[in-house]
Amino acid sequence: MRKIGLVFKREYLARVRTKGFIFSTFVVPLMLVAVIGVTAFVATHQSVRTQQLGIIDGTASLSAAIARGFEPRLRGGQPAYRVARQANAASSGEENRLREEFRAQVIRGELDGFLLIPSGYFSGENSVFYARNTGDVALSTTVRQALNDAGAAYRLKAIGLDYENIRPLLKGVPMTLIKVKAEGEEEERGQTLGLAIVLMTVLYMTIFVYGIATMQSVQEEKNSRVVELLVSSLRPSHLLWGKLMGVGAVGFTQLSVWLATAAAVGIYGRAAAELFWPGNRLPRIELPFLVIFFIVTFFIAGYFLYASLYAAIGAMVSSTEESQQIATPVNLLLGFSPVMMGFILRSPNSPTAVTLSMIPFFSPVHMVLRMALQTPPLWQILLSLAIILLTTSGIIWLSARIYRVGILMYGKRPSLRELARWVRYS
Amino acid sequence: MDAVRIECVTKRFNSVVAVRDLDLCVASGAMFGLLGPNGAGKTTTLRMVMRMLIPDAGRVHIFGNPLDDRAQDLIGYLPEERGLYPKMKVRNVLAFLGALKGLSEAEAGRRALEWLERLELAKWAERRIHDLSKGMQQKVQFIAAVLHRPLLLILDEPFAGLDPLNAALIKDIMLDLRAQGATIILSTHRMEQVEMMCDSICLIHQGRKVLDGDLKVIKQSYGKNTLRIQHAGGNGFLDFPELVERANHHGAMVDLRLRAGADPQQILRAAVERGVSITRFELIEPPLNDIFIEKVSGSDA
Repeated sequence: MRKIGLVFKREYLARVRTKGFIFSTFVVPLMLVAVIGVTAFVATHQSVRTQQLGIIDGTASLSAAIARGFEPRLRGGQPAYRVARQANAASSGEENRLREEFRAQVIRGELDGFLLIPSGYFSGENSVFYARNTGDVALSTTVRQALNDAGAAYRLKAIGLDYENIRPLLKGVPMTLIKVKAEGEEEERGQTLGLAIVLMTVLYMTIFVYGIATMQSVQEEKNSRVVELLVSSLRPSHLLWGKLMGVGAVGFTQLSVWLATAAAVGIYGRAAAELFWPGNRLPRIELPFLVIFFIVTFFIAGYFLYASLYAAIGAMVSSTEESQQIATPVNLLLGFSPVMMGFILRSPNSPTAVTLSMIPFFSPVHMVLRMALQTPPLWQILLSLAIILLTTSGIIWLSARIYRVGILMYGKRPSLRELARWVRYS
Repeated sequence: MDAVRIECVTKRFNSVVAVRDLDLCVASGAMFGLLGPNGAGKTTTLRMVMRMLIPDAGRVHIFGNPLDDRAQDLIGYLPEERGLYPKMKVRNVLAFLGALKGLSEAEAGRRALEWLERLELAKWAERRIHDLSKGMQQKVQFIAAVLHRPLLLILDEPFAGLDPLNAALIKDIMLDLRAQGATIILSTHRMEQVEMMCDSICLIHQGRKVLDGDLKVIKQSYGKNTLRIQHAGGNGFLDFPELVERANHHGAMVDLRLRAGADPQQILRAAVERGVSITRFELIEPPLNDIFIEKVSGSDA
């Protein structure tokens, strides 16, 4: 036991002290927080001015209604959009001439954009919106909406109805989404989906990165031949355990720092958001303690499952390139989980989703995903947990058998039949 | 008590039998030479003594006890394939390896400094392994083998890659440790080193023991049947198939294995008649090198 502790300590300290670890653990989340903060600040404090628009109206009957339709206001109260220039085009020749003129004005910066309504608009011909910044989605949406309203009003008027009276009847219906849980209700504004995706990504990445790190660690000791000295001092299985736990603890440290950062952002971010958008409350994200406990357990079991497979691969081969080659099936097995994410998100309780969350190679991601979306029945969680714990124990046993033989073998990599023999060696 | 006792040990890898029914004893306090051609099963045998491999059959005892976790702490090992953590500092590597052999980390670190001093590496204690030259790494690796004062020291080609000064330094330490009571197993292909240092040997070939025992006794059993001649001039006078069983030319010197009952004076007379100038003419026991070749090529047939 003492020797496992020594291996654990060496492995942990050697990794935690690297620049790469410090960067990805502390600097990356800080940068993310900074980016989110700056984006939020810019979004709420962007310098604003009224955008100047033009209209070329081939129908000669819509532009006034469109101008009235520009409703959005800026924070100061002045209109967000103003029709700076409008002209009716009687012929297609005039339309072309006006378009060139307006285009020149856009290029000179006198206009931010202009709308071209063709004479055949009412018979289905496309209108065109020319803008300097086509990425301004708010602008194009507003223009489309205004044109739509104006066109509808015109058509209704033609059959004797007054659009101004009908309009309030056509307004969109506001709908709030409430997530129903045993503990009570909660307004759903994307936080469940967000939490599920973030959790899954972070867990998947951590298992992947630190699983590969275990393989590299085995390879380093094998390639530098120091492993021969190590196994003259302690049992190979103890060496493997110390290594799995040491590398895993590094991953766990990183995960803890990230999640603590996320929690801090969740708490202080809400306070900050209230400063910038008074009254505009961000949704609260809550995870019950039991769910956190299960998530941690699934993560640990999943890490050991994959890390011991990677460790066995590292022990089988004599070069890093070769190990990457053999690791491909394991990478694919692990990579299958995020591929199925969309499916689980849509129907987390479908038979397929339940089955996937029972398979030990997928459950660390899929069961966690389901738990974040809506708490599955307890028996499913416990059954899945039992399956993965049993499988992981078996895989660790098998990997340790391969590992103890592989670390002392150099040269040609073993065939499956040879591997089976390795497992049976005394 | 025997430091190492191997009884009827067999180890197979797939269809290859690496070690077959091997019996071997190393007396406590011995300087023991384990010899054999490449692939004879030396490393497999040593690995079984250190519990790195488990025999398929047979038993291994260390100082009278069956191998267990504690027995590993009694053994120090210098593997033939050297290697340490390239990115770790010299002292930390030694502290870690010493702690793995049962020392406290503080004690291992303290002893590491003493040994680095003794092997003229004190300046390098805080440097990383990859900054060291090959010879220095070799010395650090030797320290890793002796740091915990092992009762049994297993050295695989300990002098490979060392210049004569460093080789002498290591040799003196080996003799010193032995004087303090350690048992040393030396595995090497350098027969002259074995002849100079070892008191008993075992020669294995194709997984089997072909010769073992006290080195003096083994050599005496052959008698002084070898004629060592150093001379100037051609080798023509040495053509005595009826007297000489085998000739081993070293360049400046030649060893002739005499047939039973052959009279070396005939050879001397022939040399004098041809006017060859002889600077050395000596009847000796066969060199270990010749015994090795004879045993190994003999059992091949």
